[in-house]
Amino acid sequence: MPSPMQPSPAPQLPSQKSATRLNPRSISIDPVSRIEGHLRIDVQVEQDPGSAWRVYRAEAVGALFRGFEMVLQNRHPWDAVAITQRICGVCPVSHAQAAVETLDAAAGVTPPANARVQRNLALGANFLQSHILHFYHLAVLDFVDGPDIPPWEPDWQVDRRFDQATSDLLVQHYLQALEMRRKAHTLGAIFGGKLPHLAAFMPGGFTNKPTSAQLAEAHVLLDELIDFIDNVYVPDVQLLGSVYSDYYEIGGGPTELLAYGVFDLDSSGSNKLLGRGRALLGTPGVLPVDVGAITEDVTRSWYADSTSGLPPGAGSTVPQYPKDGAYSWCKAPRYDGTPQEVGPLARMWVNGDYQNGISVIDRHLARALESSKIAHAMDGWIDQVNVGSTSFAQHTIPTNALAYGLTEAPRGALGHWVKITAGVIERYQVVTPTCWNASPRCRNKLPGPIEQALHGTHVQDQQYPIELLRVVHSFDPCLACAVHVSRPTGELEVVVPSRWGGTSLPSKR
Amino acid sequence: MLGFSTATLEALTTAVSNPGGPTVLWVQGASCSGCSVSFLNYVSDDPNLPPDAADILINVINLAYHPTLMTGAGETAVDALTAAFQAGGYVLVVEGGVPTAFGGNTCWTWSEGGQHVTFLQAVQMLAGRAAAIICAGTCSAFGGIPAAPPNPTGIQTVSQATGLPTINVPGCPPHPDWLVYVIAEYLAGNTIPLDVHGRPTALFYRTVHQDCPRRHSQEADHWGQFNRCKEDLGCRGEDTVGPCVFQYFNEGANWCIGAGSNCIGCTEPDFPTSDPLFVHD
Repeated sequence: MPSPMQPSPAPQLPSQKSATRLNPRSISIDPVSRIEGHLRIDVQVEQDPGSAWRVYRAEAVGALFRGFEMVLQNRHPWDAVAITQRICGVCPVSHAQAAVETLDAAAGVTPPANARVQRNLALGANFLQSHILHFYHLAVLDFVDGPDIPPWEPDWQVDRRFDQATSDLLVQHYLQALEMRRKAHTLGAIFGGKLPHLAAFMPGGFTNKPTSAQLAEAHVLLDELIDFIDNVYVPDVQLLGSVYSDYYEIGGGPTELLAYGVFDLDSSGSNKLLGRGRALLGTPGVLPVDVGAITEDVTRSWYADSTSGLPPGAGSTVPQYPKDGAYSWCKAPRYDGTPQEVGPLARMWVNGDYQNGISVIDRHLARALESSKIAHAMDGWIDQVNVGSTSFAQHTIPTNALAYGLTEAPRGALGHWVKITAGVIERYQVVTPTCWNASPRCRNKLPGPIEQALHGTHVQDQQYPIELLRVVHSFDPCLACAVHVSRPTGELEVVVPSRWGGTSLPSKR
Repeated sequence: MLGFSTATLEALTTAVSNPGGPTVLWVQGASCSGCSVSFLNYVSDDPNLPPDAADILINVINLAYHPTLMTGAGETAVDALTAAFQAGGYVLVVEGGVPTAFGGNTCWTWSEGGQHVTFLQAVQMLAGRAAAIICAGTCSAFGGIPAAPPNPTGIQTVSQATGLPTINVPGCPPHPDWLVYVIAEYLAGNTIPLDVHGRPTALFYRTVHQDCPRRHSQEADHWGQFNRCKEDLGCRGEDTVGPCVFQYFNEGANWCIGAGSNCIGCTEPDFPTSDPLFVHD
């Protein structure tokens, strides 16, 4: 038997017109499971006549800070490739790609085509494993019951709409997907050495030199993945969209999409399988990305205000804890001061491949269709690997340099910024996709994309708020990447936040 | 290959046939989830071993708590954990180090009664009633990269944070066979001999370099020399203990050195040290 969430009366918020709220309540979900890392969701709901409850305020609270940027200081620049991968065990290859692009730029070196193609293959393989893992193992259990044993029990079993046969089929696909994502990792390891956390990415190139037999093995694995993606994964998401068609209207969130682009098709840096750009909902066309417009706001984050509003290249990580008004360790990246949704939907939209809308189902569908697009492109990339050809361009690491690299993780835009001084890393800044999507409010009081997507969501049963999980999971958040939120605390009391406008509440204990 | 005895395999088969399965609680602290992802990559064609990770979840263990895999969220998940804790005698698998700076508040694991529980509190509580503590990966076993200088969040190992001995399965991430070996040996009721760093001696007994196929080749003096020994380019195979060379990773597809790169010493207590992982001027 599932046990109920315990709704509690919402604290009175000086900044809000509580008198106009009908029967306001707070709902917290902690932990939010089936994500990477630690996330808590706090929402406030009010009674919505005719439709149970409606979210009027949401806060996404990441709860992990490890300080990777501080660990990197004073290290050899190349260490960034191995160390930043350890930020995330689900998207390590994207960090490797961002780091080598950053260090390639710092050194002014162009990797040989053989390196570019192998980087694409290792990165593409990990996109496939991450997308398959996300849909089947992290998201689909919001709609389908798993086997009747842990870790699939206990569950909430609410709003189940599939018939038994379809439900059983999806559970079979869950198990098949475990095998498929494993094979995607095997495919990536052929090129990268091992996964998670591969070895072959190197500034200036790629250390591996695959054999013809390995390329043939890669083709076999990829063919199997393409078959699964095109004939199981994409149809399953389409089926979900037809049975839960109301979720095309739920979880909309922000109206600005940002993609850095990924998978270079030549050495120009501007010709990518998925292009760079910004899109504004309701405005035709794609806008260019001005890297100078990206800043990190820390008004509501546990960092020194002196570091707020700086571009990542000039930014630094100076924890300040506690700090009045802050509620997150996560910085709030902004583009021209505005939150941006990043991820497969943003990429596919910017690239002109998918522009249906912004919602829970649209995110899942764009992710599935992107998987197919990447997998088919990889088929050609395997054939471009030149057995026996060099994959490394000799170069010298600059003594002093300022550089950045922009790429994509499966869950969205990823940027690394480095300052090399006297041959070592003086400053390294990582702006992850989940920092964009799970960001807290900023100086302009604009909620982050996940917070915005939760706003207005209807909850039928506040004891089992499955709707909130569906919205959050559609973003594929990775809090291992993001960083964290925390609240000030004493030994045995919780000071409920200055984020509630300075009001302190005693602990329940 | 991993040194299972016949008796172990028979005992494991018995455990496999037990639908109740021993309870396993898998918690994540200052981690990247990479050890969990590596565990999911487990596969074996040995008829005496579970064929894959799904089989382990369904037929071998009762995985009552795993943040990335479990369906339940919020209090539903915490209630399941609490029930297992009260029963005691479970296997506690810990992924990620234990942050102690800022009162442990750089890592929260769940909330109880509206109050967050830090990972430090969680591990100290859960360790107390565990029949065994398995550290999955270098971070929980030794601190790992988050504990590298200046150790911004005051990471401690699980053993340091609890004062209890742990079975350490290091690696960044560990090979899934290593994790399954330890789980299988434990379920079979066998004593697992450990080295001074708490690592199973059946797995961690020879350096990577001792059996490296490149050890007799000419030493590389710059990057781009695929087949050469990388000792002068910073390879740590001589100082790193582990069986990587005997099995490779990802269904035997490859390994770090096989891809022309360095061993970066990820199974060692001092990983990653302050020294460069790769030498290049």
